Amino acid sequence: MSVKVFGDGVSRVGVREITSGIFWITHCLGDHAKDHYSDYFGLLSNAEDYVSNRIVDYPFSAFLILDEKSLLIDTGAPAQRANTLAALDTLLGSHALDYLWISHIELPHAGNAVAIQRKYPGAELITVGGGDDSYYALHGLEDAMLVSVGDIIKLGKHSIEMVDPLFLDHGNSQWLYERTTGFLFTADWGHNLHEPSRNQCFQFVDEMENSGYTDELFVDDVAVNAWYQFPWLAWTDPDEIAAGVDRLFKQYDVRIFAPSHGNLIRKDVGRYAALLKEGTRKAVEMPHRFAV
Amino acid sequence: MIRMVADDLYQIGECVDGRHGHEAVRFYVLTNDGRPILIDCGSQLFRSESMKQLDQVLEGSTPEFVFLTHSELPHSGNLESIARNWPHIHVMVSSILIRHIEIAPVLPLEQIVAASPGTTLQIAGRELNFLDALLKDQPGSQWIYDPKTGTLFTGDGFGYYHPAEVCEQFSDEVEGGILEQWFTTYHRDAFRFLRWVNPKKLNDVLDELYQRRDVKTIAPIHGNAIRGDILEHVDRLKRAITAICMQHRKEGINLR
Repeated sequence: MSVKVFGDGVSRVGVREITSGIFWITHCLGDHAKDHYSDYFGLLSNAEDYVSNRIVDYPFSAFLILDEKSLLIDTGAPAQRANTLAALDTLLGSHALDYLWISHIELPHAGNAVAIQRKYPGAELITVGGGDDSYYALHGLEDAMLVSVGDIIKLGKHSIEMVDPLFLDHGNSQWLYERTTGFLFTADWGHNLHEPSRNQCFQFVDEMENSGYTDELFVDDVAVNAWYQFPWLAWTDPDEIAAGVDRLFKQYDVRIFAPSHGNLIRKDVGRYAALLKEGTRKAVEMPHRFAV
Repeated sequence: MIRMVADDLYQIGECVDGRHGHEAVRFYVLTNDGRPILIDCGSQLFRSESMKQLDQVLEGSTPEFVFLTHSELPHSGNLESIARNWPHIHVMVSSILIRHIEIAPVLPLEQIVAASPGTTLQIAGRELNFLDALLKDQPGSQWIYDPKTGTLFTGDGFGYYHPAEVCEQFSDEVEGGILEQWFTTYHRDAFRFLRWVNPKKLNDVLDELYQRRDVKTIAPIHGNAIRGDILEHVDRLKRAITAICMQHRKEGINLR
């Protein structure tokens, strides 16, 4: 595993090539995870069913596609700004950054947009259409190129297609599919967790299997994360949610599954698609108690 | 714009103009006997005006806490200015929010305090209830109930687009109150997950909340305070949610 790591602790950023021309730029806490996430499962009423005595960690990721044109998917959070810029500098070298694509406007996804545009003033900002000028001004995304589901941007050998975000929090969100590699970016959906003590930081999920990560843990992780991330699942029909996952993987030939906050899946995606469905369905069926 | 809502509660903020009409971007101040608490801190778009208005409301007192309903820019856009003016201030967020990632690093992490949904805390000498936000566009969203004024701070929930002529008016000053259609257009934009939702299940939890709490004022960020006729406005929101969910069903929830 070849990973270049910039910084440590809350500012740490790692860079790893996923496939030719696509890079994972990600923050996770590593040895510091226990200081921040030791009570990660604290809100669950049946935490013992999921914790398995694990001290887990949680990635916050951006991705860079390098081709005739380069495109950065999300920006990482302000706490990792300096190291994210350093990572970009290393990857881009003398190349320009042509596009900065934003999935949605939360800080872990868009919080460095201004700093990146300042460093790469030629980078064109791209985000999801549907708002009006005031919406983009409020969220600091003025003058962005607005795109819709199905729109395609050619980068050279790679081309990206905008994808309807099935499971979302913020109203204006989008997912992305890269057609040549089958890379599907799903922002906040489909996360697993990893254990720094087992050296699972920056690993792909198939590599984590060598240190004891199992299908059962993956399903639990997807479920717990969806339960936290999308509490509205409490008010949905599990069969409809499961059918939505099926349609997604039927519509797109996914060969690399890349969520913002999980390890990447690059092998056996079909098997993991079934586990993602099971985990998301499980999130619907988990007890939801709203503190009102 | 500064307006006193009730007792020691003030509303600050401006509006932006969009295709559905005006959208308010507010924040609130509880002056709290000289120990002020802010609920959200406004948009960076109106930083200069908002900070001046905040100074006016504070009358020289030092705010002790900012409660963030969530951390998007329209809600936390002036946090850096507030941290600069009052460096000892504490920020209170939902325990679901990941503090070192989801808050701009403008204060030491020790000053970012987490409240778990369902807890009641004494903050700056005032009892406050921290609740789950029922309409969330960010997982770490919280609603806050202030028993003293009977105010429920609802973040993005109960937001509405409005015509320019009612920008400065509370619900009881608008003839007919806040219209169901105003809630509908706003919530359709803000909460696109409603495509999946069975509205009855969501509305039942809203009912539970309003049965449990004696709410006299609803304080949304993207609307003016709703004073009076609370249950009628809750019913309007419930009808709006139902209409949005039904429209999604009609259009189909398949991949688009």
